[in-house]
Amino acid sequence: MLNEERIILMTKMASYEANEGKKNVAIGSYFRGDYIGWQVLKSIISATIAFVVVFGVYIYYDFETFMTDIYKMDLIEFARHILSMYLWTVGIYAVIAYVVYMIRYMRAMKSLKLYYLNLRKLSGMYKQ
Amino acid sequence: MTGLLVAKQILMTLYSKYEVYITPLLKFLLALISLLLINSRIGYMDSIDKMTVVLIVALMCSFMPMNFILLMAAIFIMLHLYAFNLECTIVLGAGFLLMFLVYLRFSPKDTLVVLLMPICFLLRIPYVIPLAMGLIGTPVSAISIACGVIVYYMLHFVTQNVSVILAMADEERTARFKFVVDGLLHNRDMVITIAAFAVTVILVYFIRRLSIDYAWTIAMVAGAVVNITVLLVGDLMFDTHVALLEVVLGNALSLLLAVVLQFFVFNVDYSRTEKVQFEDDEYYYYVKAVPKIVVSKPEKKVKQINSQKAKTAPRSRTTH
Repeated sequence: MLNEERIILMTKMASYEANEGKKNVAIGSYFRGDYIGWQVLKSIISATIAFVVVFGVYIYYDFETFMTDIYKMDLIEFARHILSMYLWTVGIYAVIAYVVYMIRYMRAMKSLKLYYLNLRKLSGMYKQ
Repeated sequence: MTGLLVAKQILMTLYSKYEVYITPLLKFLLALISLLLINSRIGYMDSIDKMTVVLIVALMCSFMPMNFILLMAAIFIMLHLYAFNLECTIVLGAGFLLMFLVYLRFSPKDTLVVLLMPICFLLRIPYVIPLAMGLIGTPVSAISIACGVIVYYMLHFVTQNVSVILAMADEERTARFKFVVDGLLHNRDMVITIAAFAVTVILVYFIRRLSIDYAWTIAMVAGAVVNITVLLVGDLMFDTHVALLEVVLGNALSLLLAVVLQFFVFNVDYSRTEKVQFEDDEYYYYVKAVPKIVVSKPEKKVKQINSQKAKTAPRSRTTH
């Protein structure tokens, strides 16, 4: 005998698993710290590449002036200045990434909690 | 109105029934239009400026995620620019790389906006994107819209200054690079457009979320008016030479398209709004419920006029 309520619940859960749930299950397989840490690390790598690109464009933009001034300038001071800019950029970006991925993790866990609740409900229906 | 609602219902049913075919088809069309536009505007590399190549790539895009279309469009642009000039390639490549690395990795769903924005600019209706994203997106969409605007203005700058860039000698590589970077960074039109679109998205988003009747309609109209105002104020302040008639007509057309979007996404009947009030142990609830306008698809009834004959005919045959 077909149980209409059970079929509706199973269809909804299957749809969730195929769409939004796929991503959430992947997120849910990590511990909170591991997930956020991994994502922030990836963000730091991205920010580093982005900084190098911008720095490259900046140097090439004023290449002639840079080459004439390179013997006059205090290279250690220049490197310190660039390093502090890099740390600020990456630091701010990492904080933004931390907040974004923390919210994303919390949302995914909330959604998964509902999914597991439905799973228990479905299991209960089979036992009836 | 009922006819339109029935048509909407039929369209939705058709889409859900043939989604497997319609989604790849739409992706194919989007990729095809994007690549053809790129080829027509900056088709400097002959080997990819061919219909067969475009068709093959568009076909590939139809089975891939949406981000793949943006990636292919970016690769096409880079290849064309490489055939034209190395400095332009470096600057645009850096722009694309920053966009992918810094923003689009956070919200990969917004890549569609980055792709649609330059297309809408070419169709003279870029104003529809901030209106639409304010209605169905979030204020964060302003960043993806800004990315789309930057992509358009980067390409626009290159196409507008082809002769100037080519006139510079090969020894002046740094000067050429400087010219391209300056052209992008000091582009007031681009800055004003980004500001206007950002204000529009945020305003439309906040108004449409208000608990007032016709919030979506008010949001759309307010968005269009603010868009025009910011663009005109920008023109007065920075002398950006905004074509007033084009802006007004573009916004009016965008408003119409936003109305169509509203019809499909948020079609409610405010005349049947219900306000209820109740309480539980912890809260008082003041609920405003606005019913959706829904019409059922008319069912076709087949009336068999000759049913009597059909039944009687065999009997008459047996009597003979």
